[in-house]
Amino acid sequence: MPKTDLSLYSSCTLDQDGCTTCGDVAVPVRVVELIGSDALVEDRVGQRATVAIDFFPEAKAGDALLVHMGVAISRLEEPA
Amino acid sequence: MKYVDEFRDPKLIERAADEIKRLANPSRQYRIMEVCGGHTHSIYRFGLQDLLPENMELIHGPGCPVCVLPMGRVDDGLKLAQDPGVILTAFGDMMRVPGQMGTPLEMKARGADIRMVYSPLDALKLAEKNPERQVIFFAIGFETTAPSTALTLMRAKKMGIENFTVFCNHVTIVPAMRAILDSPDMRLDGFIGPGHVSTVIGCRPYEFVAKEFGKPVVTSGFEPLDLLQSMVMLLRQMNEGRAEVENQYERVVPWEGNRAALAAMAQVFELRPYFEWRGLGFISQSALKLRPEYAQWDTEARFTVEGVRVTDPKAAQCGEVLKGVLKPQQCKLFGKECTPERPVGALMVSSEGACAAYYNYVHRAEAVSGD
Repeated sequence: MPKTDLSLYSSCTLDQDGCTTCGDVAVPVRVVELIGSDALVEDRVGQRATVAIDFFPEAKAGDALLVHMGVAISRLEEPA
Repeated sequence: MKYVDEFRDPKLIERAADEIKRLANPSRQYRIMEVCGGHTHSIYRFGLQDLLPENMELIHGPGCPVCVLPMGRVDDGLKLAQDPGVILTAFGDMMRVPGQMGTPLEMKARGADIRMVYSPLDALKLAEKNPERQVIFFAIGFETTAPSTALTLMRAKKMGIENFTVFCNHVTIVPAMRAILDSPDMRLDGFIGPGHVSTVIGCRPYEFVAKEFGKPVVTSGFEPLDLLQSMVMLLRQMNEGRAEVENQYERVVPWEGNRAALAAMAQVFELRPYFEWRGLGFISQSALKLRPEYAQWDTEARFTVEGVRVTDPKAAQCGEVLKGVLKPQQCKLFGKECTPERPVGALMVSSEGACAAYYNYVHRAEAVSGD
């Protein structure tokens, strides 16, 4: 089954995080690879970054997460 | 819906706007506050106000941390940065916020070591690389940002990094909503609730708005259709005599929030007895400070923070705009002395401040069209 387009959750990308201080805009990403308590993630346009996934220790490759300030703050549920 | 395009589909948006017009009772006024600066930005960017009936007014709320930070806290940070042993780190949006001493960017130009970071974790890395310097992170933001700071502090403690501290300016949104509801000069009919703050705190903390004040709250996404759907949900509640908390942004916001992030915040932070909000004054239990267990990493415990008090420039009417009493363009300085290039007040600094959003998407367009 094809993965849901990340832009469904937010149009932000890793280099366009809205107003970072406000933080009410965050970036939907997909986990590429786990690196300890961090993960390599990719946004909807293919940009990659390493982010902390301490709040989601069970995250695995392919999961969709919402990232803000280099930290995953929410798991994005895949719509049925 | 599977793609964001559908949340911007003109036909669906037209249908939602028609539904709002159908539901709005023409014999009354509706005053709805969007709490979050991200929503304010979307409303102006997509021109949503123009789609609403004339008797429906959107009031821009206090959900922009840069905008509600008192100038004195900026000066407190800048004074710390005058110490040559200090590297002050801050988010990009903070760099242009004016204190009485100037902006962090101007202080940097005058020689202070002030650096922009994307994440508090980057500030921690900087401390690791510069053990001979003290790295201070100017922390600011609501509950979306506070977990990142909490996580960074937990890592600093675990790694034993002692030359890193946090100048904590985190605030919490719920007490500000209560202060607005308690304010005698504010009459509101409902709230569009914050989006990503709610991914952390969930929807339950807004229940007092419905139960104690009888006003509906709908947590909303940021796309045009999200916001219009949220307005439809609010109007339906009002028409049916209901006051409940509803979640329009279910695809991102879990009702219970993020328990791991809340637990990290509880481990690191405690509530301050009171904190000053620009435009709103002192609000009790509305901000976070580090717990005594984290005093080693607390700038306010390790350094002398003067607690500078600065009165806002008299002509700037940030407070009235922040409370929704005035529209941005009604401020005497708007578009004249105060512009995004040269902001006087913080509402013009942040891209999500009501004045900057209005200036960028409405004022400039009017100037081009000659209106």
